[in-house]
Amino acid sequence: MKLATFCYQEQERLGAVDGAGRMVDLHKAYASYLREVESNPAGDELARLTLGRDMVDFLRRGENGLPAARKALAHVTAKPNAAGNAMLDPNQIRLMSPVPRPGALVSAGKNFSDHVAEMASKKGPSAPVAFLKLPGTVTGPEDDIPHPPEVKNLDYEVELAIIIGKPCVDVSRDEALDYVAGYAAFNDISARDIIRGENKTGIHLMGKSFPGFAPMGPYLVTADEIPDPQNLKLKLSVNGEIRQDSNLSYMIFKIRDMIVYWSQMGLSPGDVLTTGTPRGVAAGRKPDQPPWWLKPGDIVEAEVEHVGRLRNRIVAE
Amino acid sequence: MHIYLGLLEKSLPDQTRIFSAVDGKLLDLNLACAAYLARSGDPTAYERAAFYFPETIGALLARGQQSLQALTEVVAYAHKTGARDLRGPSGEKVAYDATEVRLLPPVQNPDKSFVVGFSDQARIEAMPKAEIPTGFYKLPQTFVTNGAPIIWPKFSEELDADACLALVIGKAGKRIDPAQAWEHIAGVTLLVDITARDVNRREGLTTNNLLGKNFPSSTALGPSVLMKPARKELESIEVELTVDGNSKQKFALRDCVFTIEQLIARWSILGIKPGDFLAIGASMALNGDRLQNPVPLKIGTTIRCSSPAIGELSHQVVAGKGLPR
Repeated sequence: MKLATFCYQEQERLGAVDGAGRMVDLHKAYASYLREVESNPAGDELARLTLGRDMVDFLRRGENGLPAARKALAHVTAKPNAAGNAMLDPNQIRLMSPVPRPGALVSAGKNFSDHVAEMASKKGPSAPVAFLKLPGTVTGPEDDIPHPPEVKNLDYEVELAIIIGKPCVDVSRDEALDYVAGYAAFNDISARDIIRGENKTGIHLMGKSFPGFAPMGPYLVTADEIPDPQNLKLKLSVNGEIRQDSNLSYMIFKIRDMIVYWSQMGLSPGDVLTTGTPRGVAAGRKPDQPPWWLKPGDIVEAEVEHVGRLRNRIVAE
Repeated sequence: MHIYLGLLEKSLPDQTRIFSAVDGKLLDLNLACAAYLARSGDPTAYERAAFYFPETIGALLARGQQSLQALTEVVAYAHKTGARDLRGPSGEKVAYDATEVRLLPPVQNPDKSFVVGFSDQARIEAMPKAEIPTGFYKLPQTFVTNGAPIIWPKFSEELDADACLALVIGKAGKRIDPAQAWEHIAGVTLLVDITARDVNRREGLTTNNLLGKNFPSSTALGPSVLMKPARKELESIEVELTVDGNSKQKFALRDCVFTIEQLIARWSILGIKPGDFLAIGASMALNGDRLQNPVPLKIGTTIRCSSPAIGELSHQVVAGKGLPR
C-alpha cells in the first residue's frame, strides 16, 4: 500500500493512494467503512482513535493501523460515491512528506563504494557513518527548496529512506527488516561549502540542515510491496540531465546492517534512516568545468525504482 | 523567577503542568492564575488561565508577552496571599510539596536543541581551529531530568559528562541581527551532555557525532527555567560539574570569547522557535582537552551539575539492562 500525508484545505491529512492514483482520505474512508459496513455509530471517533493524528502516530499503533487503512481503502475503491468525500482528485491536494516530522532522521554518509572513491576518501569506514539531519528540514516531494543566501555550493544526494515501524532496540541482522514500515525516496540536500567549514572543527550540522534540505516521498510504500529493498535502482537528474545512476546493491553497509547498528541507540516508529548516496554528486564530479552547483530555477528529480520520484525546484531564498 | 514542568502523581502522561516555586511550594500556575482571575468575578477564569498556561513551557513561550505578563502577576499574587493558602476558584489544591510532583525536562520536544562548544581561553588553546562555534544536535528522546539514572549503554566502555548552560528561546526568528538577539532569549536552564567518548572518538574520524551523543538518558536537562535573567546576571551564572564530589568543570558565560549575541546570530540562520535551546558548554578550564582527558565515569558514579541561580541536576550512573558490568 502507498500511504501518504497531504494537505487539503489547509489541513494535514493521512491518505492512501488507490490503483488509479487517486488520494483517499483515510480518516473519512475508515469512518465511512465503520458506519456503513460495521454499523458503528461512533465511526468518526473510532477512526481517529484507530488511525492516530499523523503518520508517526499511525505507525505507533502498529498492528492496528495498517489493517484499518486497508479496509478503508478497499471500501472506498469499491464504492467511491458512497464514502462521503473520501476520494480526492490529485489536483485538489498538495502532497507532503509521508512522515512530515520524524522523531530522528539518521542519514548515512560514505556508504557507497563509488561515492567514497569520488569524494577522495582513502577507504570506506569501519562502522556505519551517519549524521542527524534536523527533523524540521523534511519537506514534500514537490515542494520548492530554498537556496540559502549563505550557501555557495548547493548539492544533491539521491537516497532511499527507510521508515521504522516498530520500537527497535538491539535487533539482529536476520530480523532487521521486520522493523521497517516502508520506504520512500529521499534527497539529502547538502551545502558543501558550509560542511567543509564545519569539518575543520569536527562535526557537520548546519550544512545538512537548512530548512527544506530533506525532500521525502512521494509516498510511504509499505515494506510488503518492496521484497528486495537492497536491489533498487537510484537515479537523479537536474533539468533532465541524469547525474546519478546507480543501485542500492552497491551500499557498503547494507540496509540490514544500518538497522542493526542504529538500533543500538533505540529507534522508534516514525524514525527514518537514509541509505547514503552513490557517485555522481556535484562535489564529486571532477570533470565539471567550470565548477557546477545547484542554482535557483533548477529542477531536481530523485527517483528510487518501485518507490517513487521527487521533483523539487530550487528557489532563491 | 523559576518555572518547572511536571506531572502530578495521578495524572496521565500527557497532562503536564507548569509550576513555579513560591514559599517552598510548587504552584500549579494554571489553577493559580484561574484563582487570580476569579477574584474579580471573571466568568472565563478557567479558560483564560488555560490559555496563558498551556501544557508545555514551549507553548507558554509561544503565547508571548501575554503569558509572561500573566506569569509575573500570578507569582506576585501568590507571594502576597501566601502559596499555602492559595486555592483554585472552586477550592482546588494549587500548591504542592516537591514530593507530590514528578518533574520533567522543562523543554520537551524542541525543533532545535543545539549544543555548542564553550569557547574560553582554555578551549581556544586546545583547539585553535575552533574559530566559529560549531555545534551538534541532541535528540529530544534522549532527555531526562534531575534524579533520573544515567544508563550505561552496552556499546561503550568510556562515558564522560559535560556541563552546559542552555539558553531557552522565547521568540521566533531567522538570521537574527546581533543587536536584536537578546530579545529572543526567554530564560536559561542546565544541561549535562553525556558522551560515549570511545564511540565519539571513532565517529570523529569521519566528522560525525551521533551514537556517541544520542542514547537514552544521554541528555539531562533542568531542573527549572530561570526566566529572563538580566544580561549581567546571566553572564555571571556559575555552573559547576562534580563527579563523586570532585569539581570537574566550573564556568560562567563571561569567560566565553563569543558573546551570546554572536551565538544566537550564528545558529538562528536555520530559524529558531520558542522552546528551542542553544546550550553552551564543555568548558576546558579545569581539564584541558576533553577528548584526551575525559571525566571518567563508572557504574555508581554520581554526577552533579549545579548553579545557585538555577538549581541542581543530580544523576547516578547505572548499568544498562543485560550489561555484564
